Amino acid sequence: MAAMLKCVMSGSQVKVFGKAVQALSRISDELWLDPSKKGLALRCVNSSRSAYGCVLFSPVFFQHYQWSDLVKMSENELDTTLNLKCKLGMKSILPIFRCLNSLERNIEKCKIFTRSDKCKVVIQFFYRHGIKRTHNICFQESQPLQVIFDKNVCTNTLMIQPRLLADAIVLFTSSQEEVTLAVTPLNFCLKSSNEESVDLSNAVYSEMFVASDEFDFFQIGMDTEITFCFKELKGILTFSEATHAPISIYFDFPGKPLALSIDDMLVEANFILATLADEPSRASSPQSLCLSQKRKRSDLIKKKAGKNVTSQALECISRKAAPRRLYPKETLTNISALENCGSPAMKRVNGDVSEVSENSVSNTEEVPGSLCLRKFSCMFFGAVSSDQQEHFNHPFDSLARASDSEEDMNNGSFSIF
Amino acid sequence: MKFRAKITGKGCLELFIHVSCTVARLAKVCVLRVRPDSLCFSPAGFHGLREAGLWCEAGLWCEVRRGAFQQFRMEGVSEDLDEIHLELTAEHLSRAARSAAGASFLKLQLTHRRRPCLTVAVELASSLGRARSVVHELPVQVLPRGAWRACLPPSLRAADASIYLPRWRTLRSIVERMANVGDHVLVEANLRGRMTLSMETEVVSIKSYFKNLGNPPESAGAPPNGDLESMVQVRVDNRKLLQFLEGQQINPTMALCNIWDNSLLQLVLVQEDVSLQYFIPAL
Repeated sequence: MAAMLKCVMSGSQVKVFGKAVQALSRISDELWLDPSKKGLALRCVNSSRSAYGCVLFSPVFFQHYQWSDLVKMSENELDTTLNLKCKLGMKSILPIFRCLNSLERNIEKCKIFTRSDKCKVVIQFFYRHGIKRTHNICFQESQPLQVIFDKNVCTNTLMIQPRLLADAIVLFTSSQEEVTLAVTPLNFCLKSSNEESVDLSNAVYSEMFVASDEFDFFQIGMDTEITFCFKELKGILTFSEATHAPISIYFDFPGKPLALSIDDMLVEANFILATLADEPSRASSPQSLCLSQKRKRSDLIKKKAGKNVTSQALECISRKAAPRRLYPKETLTNISALENCGSPAMKRVNGDVSEVSENSVSNTEEVPGSLCLRKFSCMFFGAVSSDQQEHFNHPFDSLARASDSEEDMNNGSFSIF
Repeated sequence: MKFRAKITGKGCLELFIHVSCTVARLAKVCVLRVRPDSLCFSPAGFHGLREAGLWCEAGLWCEVRRGAFQQFRMEGVSEDLDEIHLELTAEHLSRAARSAAGASFLKLQLTHRRRPCLTVAVELASSLGRARSVVHELPVQVLPRGAWRACLPPSLRAADASIYLPRWRTLRSIVERMANVGDHVLVEANLRGRMTLSMETEVVSIKSYFKNLGNPPESAGAPPNGDLESMVQVRVDNRKLLQFLEGQQINPTMALCNIWDNSLLQLVLVQEDVSLQYFIPAL
């Protein structure tokens, strides 16, 4: 017995599925296939861990949906459930879902099948007249990451038609990395980020004001200005073309991640983007602004190599193993070494991280204020496993935690994506 | 120095968008000359004129007269120098103008926040009736008086032949097809309303004949040997010609070309208050 997935889709369902793959390809070069009783989830995270996407297809979306976990019995009566740990390269899967319109018209059925003990995913398209096209894609064994983000406690919630987002995206040039969203209870403004040194560059500053009555839903708890990476918006826009549901945006204060979601009963798409945390003092010189840019860019998985530490703070992180990398010898403990090379700014950050960790061992309540303020908040990280010696920084400055088991959730209001 | 202008009305807006997109296609950086009765675009740093009056690079000049604007107010550098010369990246303006497609109005204003900018403000009518507004601040450089002379189109002697162009779409599709085959095109015209476009490679030769095109009455052009039937010709880069012909659908009130035998081709387009002239040198 092995963990397995088998699902069957019609032509029009393949189009939606393909759009989801295309949307996620804008975030990352790799994709996890994660089946569960809730349905088939496609997950991905970008290389700097500042954007996460998940599209969950419910079982009723498919013509046929079948999955199973592998339950491993062990001596000490602790059965571990091994789910399908399947990671695919976007380069392999994206070309299969090209020409979605013609796929929708011409195929009768599409089957996706995989098992954890085989090393491949099989995707078959059945055309008329008995023609069948089969793709075998090798997958890598890798535990999917999940994000917990409680939409209900967000102060600000908007619901917009995709058209509005498309209009906004056209305004900003591709050279513009970040945009700022500024809301008040009465209006909405999307503008070029002020963080770039505007005086020196030849960049255009743009802003767009939209009245609150253009929104399907407009609830702003407090005046907020958040800054995030603009190109990731295009991903969710791609997917919105497949469904006709509006896009909901959930956000809070700067530093807390922003969630964009589309929910049309059969499919639920969630894109979580990190936002720039507030500077402690806005009047900092351009030099330090640039530094903080680099810091946020190197949104690190905050972990410290070396010491075997268990602390109160770390217990709430689940026991899921951290994702293995493409190159096995590059273990997670070496990541901080990798991050050390490059700009001096990155080195310094690592220095700070190790300092913080030392403190955290003794007193889990200590808050290194300046460090956490000047970064994109880390949204999630793989959990500590007893096998590997990665250890994580304070979870207080991550606003979403990774988890794979229900029992970690004390209150049911958390929603897992 | 002050400048404030407003364009309303679908036709005028589309024309302004077309002009800014054409300028952006043909020049990376352009100079915007604000005069009391018009706005003029010209290529920045134009060194088209070598000694002996021979052109070596193509250049586009556009004029948008005051009539295209619903509101136009300017104050130049000083009373006797009543102009403002601004240098900007043409693509910035075309991008900002394109966001005004279907807008209620477009406003241009010279502003100075942290640096001098041309502010483009667009108001879009939303489906619910409430307006949506977009503002772009384009960084500009105010040019000193010493650099002003370079912004004017060079004055030339009368053309050897001057002829009205055939239907825009026809001309464009022919030049497009020729561009697939080769890089050069030979443009010939005479003062009897005949025009020929031709190109030749080792393998194929293509020739398009146009007749009864008509010649502008006030053309003082006189062919070198006095024969009205003789064709005046110039060989130009096809891609440059195509770049000018491409773009949005426009219906020019007047479109003509002037040819200086074996040296220069000038295309002139006039539509309402907008005029565009594009010079392409001979190869």
